Amino acid sequence: MALWTLFGLTSGKATTPWPAGGSDGQDGVLGMPRYNPEACREGCGECAAVCPTHAIEARHNGLFVDYGRCVVCQLCTEACPTGAMEPSNDWALGVRDRDDLVWSNDARRSAAAQPSGRGAFHRSLHIRHVDAGSCNGCESELQGLNNPFYNLHRFGIFFTPSPRFADLLLVTGPVTHPMLEPLKAAYAGMPEPRWVMAVGTCAVSGGIPGGGYACGTGLEGVLPVDLYLPGCPPNPAAIIEALLMFLDRTPQRLRRGHVVG
Amino acid sequence: MLADQLLILSALLWVIAAIVALCQWTALSRVLLVAGALSGIVAAVFELPDPSQTIVLPFRLAGEAVTFRLEPEALWLLGFGLTPALFACALMSPSKLGTGGWLFGVALSLVGALGVFGLQNGAALLVAWETMSLGGAAMILSERIETYRGRTVLFMLALLEVGSVALLLAVAILGLGTGSLDFGQFVARAPFLTTATEAGVGLLLLVGFGAKLGLLPFYEWFPGAYGSGSGASGAILSGVVLNAAFFGLARGLMNWLPAAPENAFPLLSVIVIVVATISAILTILYAFQQDDWRQLLSLSSAENASIAVVVLGAAMLFRSYGLQELAGLAWTVALLHLAGHALAKGALFLTADGIQRSTATYAITASGAGSDWVFGVGSLIAAMSLAAMPPTAGFVSEWFVFQSVFQGFHLPNLGGRLVLALTGAGLALTVAVAFATFVKVIGISVLGREKNRPARIPRFYSAIVGFLGLAVLALGVGMPVWLSALDVATQAHFGSAVSREMHSGLLLVPLTAKFAFISPSLLVIVMPLLSLVPLGLILASRRLPVRRTRVWYGGLSADPTRASTTALTFSNAMRTFYSFVYRPTADTERDADVEGYFVKKLVFEHDVAPIFGPLLFQPAERIVDVMASKLRLLQSGYLNVYLGLIGLLLLVVLGLTLA
Amino acid sequence: MNGAQLRSVAAETLAGDAQKLRDAGGRIRFAYAWSPNSDEVEVRYLLALPNRRDFQMWTLKGDRGVPSLARIWPSLGWYEREMTDLYRVRFTDHPEPYPLVLRQGSSTQVNGYDFAERSASSGKAHLPAIDATDVQQLPFGPIRADVLESAEFTFFYVGEHIIHYQPSLFFKHRGMEKRFEGCRTDQAVIVAERVSGVGTVAHALAYCEAVERAAGCEAPVRARALRVLLAELERLYNHLHYLGHLCHTTTLKVGEAQGKLLEERAKQLNARLTGSRFLRSILVPGGLRRDLAPGTWLGEALEGLRVEFVAYVERLEASESHLDRLITTGPLSRRVAFDEGTTGPVERASGLDRDLRRDHPYAHYAELPLVVPILTEGDAYARERIRIAEVEAAFALCQRVLLLLEPGEVRAECAPGPLSEGLGWAEGPRGALFYAVHVGGDGRLARVKIKSPSFSNWRAFPFTVHESNMMDYAINEASFGLTVAGCDR
Repeated sequence: MALWTLFGLTSGKATTPWPAGGSDGQDGVLGMPRYNPEACREGCGECAAVCPTHAIEARHNGLFVDYGRCVVCQLCTEACPTGAMEPSNDWALGVRDRDDLVWSNDARRSAAAQPSGRGAFHRSLHIRHVDAGSCNGCESELQGLNNPFYNLHRFGIFFTPSPRFADLLLVTGPVTHPMLEPLKAAYAGMPEPRWVMAVGTCAVSGGIPGGGYACGTGLEGVLPVDLYLPGCPPNPAAIIEALLMFLDRTPQRLRRGHVVG
Repeated sequence: MLADQLLILSALLWVIAAIVALCQWTALSRVLLVAGALSGIVAAVFELPDPSQTIVLPFRLAGEAVTFRLEPEALWLLGFGLTPALFACALMSPSKLGTGGWLFGVALSLVGALGVFGLQNGAALLVAWETMSLGGAAMILSERIETYRGRTVLFMLALLEVGSVALLLAVAILGLGTGSLDFGQFVARAPFLTTATEAGVGLLLLVGFGAKLGLLPFYEWFPGAYGSGSGASGAILSGVVLNAAFFGLARGLMNWLPAAPENAFPLLSVIVIVVATISAILTILYAFQQDDWRQLLSLSSAENASIAVVVLGAAMLFRSYGLQELAGLAWTVALLHLAGHALAKGALFLTADGIQRSTATYAITASGAGSDWVFGVGSLIAAMSLAAMPPTAGFVSEWFVFQSVFQGFHLPNLGGRLVLALTGAGLALTVAVAFATFVKVIGISVLGREKNRPARIPRFYSAIVGFLGLAVLALGVGMPVWLSALDVATQAHFGSAVSREMHSGLLLVPLTAKFAFISPSLLVIVMPLLSLVPLGLILASRRLPVRRTRVWYGGLSADPTRASTTALTFSNAMRTFYSFVYRPTADTERDADVEGYFVKKLVFEHDVAPIFGPLLFQPAERIVDVMASKLRLLQSGYLNVYLGLIGLLLLVVLGLTLA
Repeated sequence: MNGAQLRSVAAETLAGDAQKLRDAGGRIRFAYAWSPNSDEVEVRYLLALPNRRDFQMWTLKGDRGVPSLARIWPSLGWYEREMTDLYRVRFTDHPEPYPLVLRQGSSTQVNGYDFAERSASSGKAHLPAIDATDVQQLPFGPIRADVLESAEFTFFYVGEHIIHYQPSLFFKHRGMEKRFEGCRTDQAVIVAERVSGVGTVAHALAYCEAVERAAGCEAPVRARALRVLLAELERLYNHLHYLGHLCHTTTLKVGEAQGKLLEERAKQLNARLTGSRFLRSILVPGGLRRDLAPGTWLGEALEGLRVEFVAYVERLEASESHLDRLITTGPLSRRVAFDEGTTGPVERASGLDRDLRRDHPYAHYAELPLVVPILTEGDAYARERIRIAEVEAAFALCQRVLLLLEPGEVRAECAPGPLSEGLGWAEGPRGALFYAVHVGGDGRLARVKIKSPSFSNWRAFPFTVHESNMMDYAINEASFGLTVAGCDR
């Protein structure tokens, strides 16, 4: 076994220093489209017609854009003739409040976050993951969190085998009917204080499969959600960013559909 | 005087009980048996530490008077053996069939045991011995619990008869030497036996009493016979009957045989120690693999008896080198061990009966019986004693066993020290496996929860098992007091009251406090004090809000009984590890469609193979079969052959009388 | 159906035809049901004949009972149960006539039929009867330790030794096939990409080819070549993931870390090439949605990755403790692999020499040299070696495509006419994947059947677990490399 030990020792550090500098590993990754209302043509509605999850609705006073429903398929950016829906690299879209995912022209941005009471978990968070019917893309990215590049453990965040040890319940998938009871049992099995995170557009709003005969439309109404992270799937850097934001270690970047910072 | 009268009363009550049982007046018989047992216990309590008075019985056997006297050690073993027997008779066998026959068998066993303990005549001893064996067989056969009881009881009787033949030979050889069958004469003649006679008689005694005690290869009848009876039968067989057999062996090896001369190799002691150690290891290994209460406890009885014989052998070894005090220590320890064993094993056999009464099975499966906490605590303490956990009696005796064996460094020669060192290692193995065995039986069966039909143990069983558990605890805690009962006995056999050296105040010591000490008497005060801290934390945490949720199985709720450890699962790893001993078999039969692709049903069977069955007993069976088929000529059915045989016989008679 | 020759069969002769097919060395790949209109149900069987590149499809009226073919082709057992659950087709004499896909607690309204009318099981999967009191029954799941997909496994075991094992899947059934219905054919590729998240390209490719065959159009050469590149890139990161995961189960920690790191590099490569780590949002019926510019950086990056991979494999092959846990673990015999319809690296490790890229070429595979590795041992080590060989072949294929890539169009017009049908297929990282697409009268999708490789392989997996032991179970499952999302859809 000397060969692996030597190899490991001589390989150096493969972990990226991000977010404290260095690459976040997402070069070239396309994120959710940016909405530029000033470029939008009146009465066009091409993007709304083409969006598979109805994340965009054409309304009389402009477009209603809900990033919580976006599956990052880029169809709207291809259909838009004017560049109102513009492709971007915005994938770090974790929010505490569901309304922050809906684009709003409101001059009042959402209020500054109150102290969350999560101070004790600042550098130590245990997560229980539940797959409530995802396509396995979110799981692939979550499994990638523990690879040497991202190395989730350096943040003090761990995945646990049982809900008894967990602080955060991380749910992926649109909650299929057979998974409803096990999901609720997992939540019931967690000791307080406990929180819930919806990872992936399916968990936030149902995504592509949502609303069919076999599944629900995400976690809304099923469990009280404390953190939303849309994406299809959200990449590991986005998941890390959302978790750090949850622990007040980094500010929230999406407010009322506008990316700040 | 009172004690002798009580003993005679016991004997009488039991004999009357036997007759009454045959007349099917079972209630009366039961009362008589219980009364007889009670009077026997009271006699023992009052008489110890002195022996009982000598009584001359009103008949003669083989032209000799027969005397009856109980030595202190006999009183000790009798008293402790009768306690579970008393409760077994009070509770009766759970089988509703053959009650009269069962009570008759119990009466025979008890009378026989009393005879083995007290009769001082060789022929009388043999009669009592056979009565005891017969009683045991009658008990099991009458209960009609298993359909195959005939075969197992026959096997038991066959092996016991081998023992009886050996005993007969031993008594005959000793009797020939002394010209009398009285044991007083045997003791007087002991120093004059030659080495060869001593070794031969010693081996015969070992075989004779070993058949009952469960030394190798005789332990193989235990699981079959015990497993065909009830817990009550087991409580009697493992209590007073086992103690009687041990008493006979101890008396024979220590009193009828001399110590080995100074420079001679103590062959007999070494043989006793080695045989008993290996028996202990084998029996507990097989006990661990059983999944039936009675079979597991029976093999455990054989193991405990083997441990007592090991210590007896150590006593013989010390005695042959003149270390009288150490010999006394070892000898006393054997008695302590069997005392604790009788109480604890009786408690557990009655536990098995209690569980059987509410769940209709003796199998080791989750029964939920622990929810009756008196029952649960009683059986737990009894199991703790057999697993040698402080502060119970079993812990005391096991600790003393190891201390006696460790004293081997006092022996002058390397061989003796080596033997005792290896014995210590073997005993360590048995203690570890015994611990696992009792964790298995109590953990799975008593403490295992059964949410569908938690066992409701009948109140009497609950109370009695609780009482016996407390008795085991009291025996351990109060050992400094109970040890004084053996002062006279040790004085008589070893020249000094060794049992007085075994305790110093509240501490128990192996003759000197400088070597080591334990104190269950103090432990029983300290342990509850220590538990005040966690109890306090539990009470304090009552204030915290508690939210209860289901056990986490992965999101769905499982049937906890189906998912929990079974008797086989617990012992399967050992089965693989010791497969050279067990030679285990496991077969799965699949009932499937379409070349095995759609499975409908699975049948799983597993077993462990005994050692001496295929090695010794089956070849012996085959020899008997072969001989029987050869001798069939005698039954050929031809008249001329019969006439010819008669003629031959007449000629032989003629020749013998003329010569 | 474009892509397969249709042949109508009758219920009376079905069993005989199936037996003749088996004797001739052919194979039934999958079966499905669909409703041409609201009253009828038609059952279809896709066949592959030996040494023929095209497929055949039997069609049969399913309104009255259909004889079950599970006794001749055990692999059809699950397809028939699925048809019974979702389309109410009755199969007579089925050896396991229990619900498979739907269970109590699922929505009962499927295809306009109230499933509650049918006597469902208690919601728990049907288990064989076990005649033994001391056998433990452990239901493990559906939520399992670590970040894993949801599925429930029932073990009948005694300590270490597993007597019987049964997985209970379809907790993740999302009804994806129904989600296609009513979608536009050019936009439904978004749905196909998300049926199995780590099989995006394979599913999208099979779907696009099905629609292209239904429309009778063909993607341009550059698009076909780039499709091969994307498919092989997907195979790369999937196999690297499974090699790392296998090291995780054999507790070779540095091996696991290195394998997962190589997977991460492959995903970052994907992102740089296409903007998506999973190669999403590129494929469309008719070609690609936009052109890709591999340049020289992709070839260099792939070569760098390949060098690291070769060194990794050398170290793995020299790790005795790792190999010890894999050799003779979970052996899958050729007979069981064939009868249960196993596919992908699992079947190739058990001696079945089949690969859709070579036997029924699609995209640009006909023009490319393809090496299909075959082994016969069928144990976990063989499956690992097959995956290693496929990774090396994937690197070679990618470099070849990059070498021969010519500039050109990447998208052709593709609009299938009303009531057209098409069959598409692809050899994904886990095995053979089929899409049967039916276009409705309005030009939108009316029925899409997805035959996923994991669906076939999950059926075969239990046969390697019976009579094995608990310590080897995780290794065996990792060596199969199956997804639950692909199976449950």
